[in-house]
Amino acid sequence: MNELEQELFEKRLISIATGLDYPRTPDIARAVMTRLRPLTRPRFISRRLAWSLTIILILFSSLMLIPPARAAIIEFIQIGIVRIFRGTPTPPPLPNAGPPSTMIPLTATSGPTSQSLIPILESLAGEMSLEEAQQTVDFPILLPSSPPDLGNPERIFVQEADGKMAILVWIDDQQPERISMSLHFIPHGSWAIDKVEPTLIQETEVNDQRAIWTVGPYPLRLYNGDIEFMRLIDGHVLIWVDGDVTYRLETDLPLEEAVKIAESLEPIR
Amino acid sequence: MNYNLSGEVRLEESTLIRHAANGDAAAWEPLILAHQEAVFRLAYLILGDPDDAADIAQEAFLRAWNHIKRFDPTRPLRPWLLSIVANLARNRHRSAGRYVATLTRAFRNEPAPANIEEKSAQHIQARELWKAVQSLSMPDQQIVYLRYFLDLSVMETSEILQVAEGTVKSRLSRALERLRGIIQQEFPVLAESREGHDA
Repeated sequence: MNELEQELFEKRLISIATGLDYPRTPDIARAVMTRLRPLTRPRFISRRLAWSLTIILILFSSLMLIPPARAAIIEFIQIGIVRIFRGTPTPPPLPNAGPPSTMIPLTATSGPTSQSLIPILESLAGEMSLEEAQQTVDFPILLPSSPPDLGNPERIFVQEADGKMAILVWIDDQQPERISMSLHFIPHGSWAIDKVEPTLIQETEVNDQRAIWTVGPYPLRLYNGDIEFMRLIDGHVLIWVDGDVTYRLETDLPLEEAVKIAESLEPIR
Repeated sequence: MNYNLSGEVRLEESTLIRHAANGDAAAWEPLILAHQEAVFRLAYLILGDPDDAADIAQEAFLRAWNHIKRFDPTRPLRPWLLSIVANLARNRHRSAGRYVATLTRAFRNEPAPANIEEKSAQHIQARELWKAVQSLSMPDQQIVYLRYFLDLSVMETSEILQVAEGTVKSRLSRALERLRGIIQQEFPVLAESREGHDA
């Protein structure tokens, strides 16, 4: 085979090989992490060791009260599938740094925006009814019962890419070009989210469980294999975990009201 | 975005690798998510069975985790992961356990992995090509999978196989000669379309 023949043959092979229908890649990350967790946890802790650990923890907690020390120790906070970077280790590029592969355009903004988000919403795939969405995903879709006048979401999306993520969107009655609130349901083991340096990060609780409250603006990256969404968050976000699902509530309401909404979630009636 | 070709993502990967090397398992998870498809696919190509491939892929990520402290975080992770999975898959392929598992599956009366009748001509051709490649020796198979099925560059292939780029090219050239011979003799569908393409 001369060089030209080989080149043509190689091209042909690549062209044919790309047609191979591989089985769906299983959730290897979850399986590996399940096997890793018991290994990273000590099985037996002696009383002496327990006391030593307690002392170390107290020292560590004290250090955490000093802002510079806290910044040095904690490089990122993890809650569910969300990691919040406090420093600037490797911030992902901002959406205007280049054409993102896709956009999730759901940002609750506290003021008027220069660009209406609704046209972008129109191009988002996976819109369906609430009932269809519930049939499509494996986790229960919950709706807030507070505030009582909130009503059902106007727009419902299921983003599917090796893991299904449900997104509920409430449109502002007074300003129909504006999104008043959005709620993401993200099952574990599929998507991952990175936030870089939110203006404010605050620990709180939803149903007595740890939750995180962040305030923008900050770049956010959702990714899953080769798929990546970039957004600039300019609103408030409450993140909490229940079972195998991470919840993100984007709203311009204050923390107390966001927690009230989060704690009022109920299955679809 | 392709995780393996973007400079920015590689930078972030290196940060995650450093966290993982410090024992932070949470940093390992996004790295698995980024590379699990390529790792699984290579294992599947070598073993031909999705369950075996999933086992081997898991094992590869666990082994990599155990040795992550020795990995240079400035280097891309994928070639190293693929090198681990290739070794594991080759060993599994040779093992008696796999032989028994294959026999067991053969008697389960399972449907073919893909319903060939319903697949497009492109899928059928790809399956035929895969069968043809399976007739090659394991080293030849491996280099063909990396270069043409996973579409990796010569440089990345050389990192995975831990040989010089020139060696990759010469091995590829010999493997292609053998593959062409097999196709011409045993896979006329592929040979005809190749001739048609060349013409």
